[in-house]
Amino acid sequence: MILDKIGIISCSGEECLGGTISRLAVRKMMEELKPGMVSTLCLPLFIAGDGGEREFAEKYPTIAVDGCSKCCAKRAIEKYSNKVAGSVDVAEIIGAEIALEKPLSTRNLTTEHMEYVKKTADKTCEIFDEILAKSV
Amino acid sequence: MSKTICVLPCNGLDKCAGDVSRRVALQLAQSDAVELICPVLLNQNKSRYEKVLESGELTVIDGCNTRCASKLAGDLELFIKEKVNVSEVAKALNIKLGVEIREDEDSKAVVQEVLEKISSSVAVQAESEFIEPESVAYDSFSHGKFIFKIPKSNYFFNENDCWVTVSGNMARIGVSDYVQQNLSDILYVDPPEIGDEFEQFDDLGSIESGKAVFEIISPVSGTVVAVNTALSDAPELVNESPYEKGWLVEVRLSDFEEDQDLLHDCPTYFKFLQRKVEEVDV
Repeated sequence: MILDKIGIISCSGEECLGGTISRLAVRKMMEELKPGMVSTLCLPLFIAGDGGEREFAEKYPTIAVDGCSKCCAKRAIEKYSNKVAGSVDVAEIIGAEIALEKPLSTRNLTTEHMEYVKKTADKTCEIFDEILAKSV
Repeated sequence: MSKTICVLPCNGLDKCAGDVSRRVALQLAQSDAVELICPVLLNQNKSRYEKVLESGELTVIDGCNTRCASKLAGDLELFIKEKVNVSEVAKALNIKLGVEIREDEDSKAVVQEVLEKISSSVAVQAESEFIEPESVAYDSFSHGKFIFKIPKSNYFFNENDCWVTVSGNMARIGVSDYVQQNLSDILYVDPPEIGDEFEQFDDLGSIESGKAVFEIISPVSGTVVAVNTALSDAPELVNESPYEKGWLVEVRLSDFEEDQDLLHDCPTYFKFLQRKVEEVDV
């Protein structure tokens, strides 16, 4: 399997802190933890149906990283493309109450928030590694 | 209840422009008068935002030219009061945002500019100097189920189906009945800025429906002195009255005599449109 053929879609994150965490976790994964190994898919583009995002998720394993238990990213993938290869719910990692707090701009994040980001990114990497291991 | 501003950002994560749209939205949402709308949740469950959208005015922030947020608003038939495209703002500032998400001085400058664009109301415009005719008489022809109306006189058209009608040194510009029927329900009019100077055949903003975006190609050269502010609340006026109440821009003419050489008068446009409609098989 080609390494960059695992997709990842983050929740859009306008409703809650969990969304902010999910976006930052996906960026951390792209930029630090698995650079060049993952294709990020844009959720609004995925929903709009342009840009080849749906086709990608149909063909290749795709992980959903959701900010809360509404699981918008996971539901969108399963509605428009395929079953997700794995999913992360930030609310399960940081607790539902915190996940539903107001979304934050990156400059307002505390070290505690960054720890949530790390935990979420680590969990996503675990799923990523499992998918990769299965495919070789 | 006072009007809320509903902000619908594109929120894309795969390009810097999408991230900028989110940063702008979060900054705006610090005001109690602003309600943030998540595009994904809106798509999933429109009823969640129904009340706030009914009582508020929608501002859409698109990251790139795929215009996901605008398309979503169009698909859900939401009336857009104001719209900003982050990529276009960046381009005007000569800043290339690219793919990588970053929070450097350039992206901050774009955030700031978008914020200013959203918060500044439409520039104050002088009272209209254009003298409207008491009535406009029309000719029409039909093609299939469509009936196309064209004024009998005093209007001039370019081949992009935009018209101009003149009163002294002032003129009004709009789009023909053919354009509005092609676009169907018009959801948004993006007018030029007051004071903009432009040449004949320059771009004078755009109008947008759920089907397409139509660029307004100016039939004349001049300076924008007013825009039809009624269209920001009722863009459907372009559908209902394309030659009168649905005018788009009022301009001070530079050289109408010269511009006129490249325009059709009403009878000529009538024939031109008949041929065009036959050819494209509307």
